Amino acid sequence: MALAIHLTRQIANAAALLLAVLVLNFCLIHLAPGDPVQVIAGEMGGASADVIAALRTKYGLDHSLMEQLAIYLRNVVTGDFGYSYYFNEPVLGLVLQRLPATLYLTSCALVSALVVGTFLGVVSARRPNGLFSHTVTVFSLAGYAAPIFWTGLMLLLLFGSVWPILPVVGMSDVVHRKQGLNYVLDVAQHLLLPSLTLALVFIAQYSRLARVNMIDALSADYVRTARAKGLPEWVVIGKHALRNTLIPTVTVAGHQFGNLFAGAVLVETVFSWPGMGRLVFDSILRRDYPTLMAVLFFSALMVMAANFLTDIVYRLIDPRIRMGQR
Amino acid sequence: MTTLEAPTLTIVSAIDMPARRATSPAGIAMRQFLKSPSGVVGLCLLALIIVGTLVGPHLYRVDPLDLVGAPFMPPDSDAWLGTDYLGRDVLAGLIYGGRATLAVGAVAALITIAIGLLIGSLSGFFGGVVDVVLVKITEFFQILPPLLFAMVLVTLFGSKLSTITVAIGAVSWTSAARLTRAEFMRLRDLDFVKASRAAGASDRHLMLRVLLPNALPAVIVSATLAIGVAILFEGGLSFLGLGDPNVMSWGLMLGQNRNYILDAWWAVIFPGMAIFLAVLAISLVGDGLNDAINPRLRRRS
Repeated sequence: MALAIHLTRQIANAAALLLAVLVLNFCLIHLAPGDPVQVIAGEMGGASADVIAALRTKYGLDHSLMEQLAIYLRNVVTGDFGYSYYFNEPVLGLVLQRLPATLYLTSCALVSALVVGTFLGVVSARRPNGLFSHTVTVFSLAGYAAPIFWTGLMLLLLFGSVWPILPVVGMSDVVHRKQGLNYVLDVAQHLLLPSLTLALVFIAQYSRLARVNMIDALSADYVRTARAKGLPEWVVIGKHALRNTLIPTVTVAGHQFGNLFAGAVLVETVFSWPGMGRLVFDSILRRDYPTLMAVLFFSALMVMAANFLTDIVYRLIDPRIRMGQR
Repeated sequence: MTTLEAPTLTIVSAIDMPARRATSPAGIAMRQFLKSPSGVVGLCLLALIIVGTLVGPHLYRVDPLDLVGAPFMPPDSDAWLGTDYLGRDVLAGLIYGGRATLAVGAVAALITIAIGLLIGSLSGFFGGVVDVVLVKITEFFQILPPLLFAMVLVTLFGSKLSTITVAIGAVSWTSAARLTRAEFMRLRDLDFVKASRAAGASDRHLMLRVLLPNALPAVIVSATLAIGVAILFEGGLSFLGLGDPNVMSWGLMLGQNRNYILDAWWAVIFPGMAIFLAVLAISLVGDGLNDAINPRLRRRS
């Protein structure tokens, strides 16, 4: 029962927030300088007079603002996020088509950042004043400060020109099309540099976080008890201390999905990765507003999904928190 | 009584406190800050960058928007750091561009902190319905990826430097608001605040004179880090072609030259390096400040 109430509340909250994003989109279209119809058509979309007139009727631009909002919301609910005159395609299809590539990139980067970051943090916490620990600290500061697109460009320069051993453009080899397992390997190879670039920033943050929390955990009573019981060190660290180290990292990682996505926009632009980020870049360049607005909406949706997942993982890792009894 | 107390005080100060040692909270924090090597390194680096952008134009008299030579000239004696894809001097771009980049960073961070302080303090101080509404608003802004939201704003409202600054400031205030709210809620129930309230202090007085000064240390650190984030955002926006084309900035140099990276690496590497060093310096200062004014966290660093 508690679980049902909790879930219902979560879903209602999510629906309200998504509605608010749509209202925000609507307000932005009307606040932007120029005629809303130009915004809806996209400035450089090359919409003809007929199209403009059709849009005016479709979005009810001669009606009151409230009626226009109702029309806009009704369109979205039926899956109509507008039409991209630059791509000559409905926006929804455009976004959904690019979504998988972005999800590969972000999930690959996120998982490797969590694993590598936690590993670095845990190892450096064993000797907080040792050489390795200091190296990790310096690396995490540098990783935080380096602009992600710049790191990407450096890697592109290194592996595209100085030492060309990895593909730096696109998602697969378009000249020599591959099949089956070879295709998967090809994509994995193309994925390497973009996901490394994206992961570096987060490895920097998670290693720092894991280091601090591991140092705290290692001085806690339960670790002393576990050692006193004569448990091997790897069990003490790997099982007892790690669990408490992971909780803050997972929370931060889950709630940073928005940053991860924004990072993906920049990384995809550097490496011409055909995902939503690349779509954002193209729509900015062409002033393709409907696409841009739809991406904003879907990114908010993904952020909420990530928060929801974090909530679940968090409850799984930390048995002290159970549904409904916080 | 007074004759008894006076000598005691003199003895204490003679033993424990060498002459003219600062004892104000700010003075103590300053001394703590100067003890942290990373903070001092960061401060020196930041000072160097700021002085460079202020004094540089008087020493290196080249207009950053002038075409001084052929495009893609490598670094040599004519143009110390080479020329970009149009033939503009890269070093001049770095010197002048730093002014715009740092200014955008500082002003955007100020906007971020101002919004965060306003929302967070109202929310934490009044609680109840005000809190519920403001927390909902904060929650709403949290689900929009800040950089993406800034991209949408700048695309819609035009890429003028002022628009860019406001857009960056307007999207990233949520963490400052949450921090301020938590600080206000923690302080609200402490005895000295209750005492002020009992003494008849108005809400305004309590918020501005009693709670705000005590919440500031936590906020100052987050304000410092906000400058770094804003500089990275400016870079990211310019990189995507949303920079102000009329004002030279580090991000603009990167964004305009990135397609020619194989022809002229210097026009991309140096501006990126400048952003990197500036953000590094700022986060080092932020770390140092954190150690100095948030003593509860000191042992963890």
